[in-house]
Amino acid sequence: MRRKAWLDFAAGALLAGALVAGLAVPPERNMGDLARIMFVHVPAAWLAYLAFGVTLVGSVGYLATGRMKWDRLAAGSAEVGVYFNGLTIALGMIWGKSTWGVWWTWDARLVLTAIMFFVYLGYLGLRRGIADPVARARRSAWLGVLGAVQIPIVHFSVVWWRGLHQPPSVIRPGGVQMDNEFRIALAIAVLAFTFVYAALLRRHMENALAEEALAARLASEEVEVAGAAITAPRYGEVD
Amino acid sequence: MKRYLWFVIPALGLAGVVLGYLLFNLSDTLVYYRTPTEVRREVAADPQARLRLGGQVQVGSLVAGGGRVAFVIADETSDIPVEHTGTPPQLFQEGGGVVVEGTWDGTVFRSDVMIIKHDEQYRTEDGEIYTPPTDAP
Repeated sequence: MRRKAWLDFAAGALLAGALVAGLAVPPERNMGDLARIMFVHVPAAWLAYLAFGVTLVGSVGYLATGRMKWDRLAAGSAEVGVYFNGLTIALGMIWGKSTWGVWWTWDARLVLTAIMFFVYLGYLGLRRGIADPVARARRSAWLGVLGAVQIPIVHFSVVWWRGLHQPPSVIRPGGVQMDNEFRIALAIAVLAFTFVYAALLRRHMENALAEEALAARLASEEVEVAGAAITAPRYGEVD
Repeated sequence: MKRYLWFVIPALGLAGVVLGYLLFNLSDTLVYYRTPTEVRREVAADPQARLRLGGQVQVGSLVAGGGRVAFVIADETSDIPVEHTGTPPQLFQEGGGVVVEGTWDGTVFRSDVMIIKHDEQYRTEDGEIYTPPTDAP
């Protein structure tokens, strides 16, 4: 485990750098200091896209090769993606309350982001519900492919439908609508979040590998699980 | 081949239909708010029907007092006078984007819900020249 600890340290150092950069930039002309939430809200949203994109890659890889390492990649990335997706919504609500004046409204971008969150929660739930590893990998791979359809829809929802949420400032046709100070701080934050994603993804994949090994051992040997020595008390047999 | 395909094929078909429906049929009704031009052209005056109106707060139009604010919401081609009951959010200002919810009687839009809309521009206070967004579809 220790051999890859540099990834965790790099993620921590970059997060500290992003914090400094995010606090050092001047206030935004309309939103003032509130615009700083962008430096966590936007990277969280992008990393959710990236994570679910990696889930797509893992799902396609599994369906093409049938190798479990692709399934671990897809599942681990979906788990981390759900963190970032939830973080996006929570930070977006705080930002929305302080700038728009409401925690939540039925805008297309907001609704679609919430649907994406629940679809990937459903993906994780589906995995929990299937005991056979091969069936679990195959079925969740299909859902991993289907779910990825949402990524471009969520991102371009603000362009396709007139909503309350502002359109993209960076990933958009035409130039970047952001002053250089903000661009630099956002870039550092995105880099930091990417390292956090990579570090978390590695942990989740290690856990999945350990779980597979445990399941294989439990299936092959007569290993007593914890608590097996305890028998339930029987009603009416008090002596 | 596999029974599971009987689920996958209809699921893919259903997803395609839902997606197509969203993209092509709901485009007009999925909009969060109407512009002043659309309200003047398409919306019948009805003091009962609630709708959302959005645009820029016209500079110089703001009058406040007595728990109410009056101002004009404008787009490129048209504008509508608004009478809003309640305290506007913190970032409400002339020249800024706003979405109000209320009724349209043909002359005045009466609202009681106000949400600030900000655009995709992030500028420092001494930054570059501000260019208003032109991509309202």
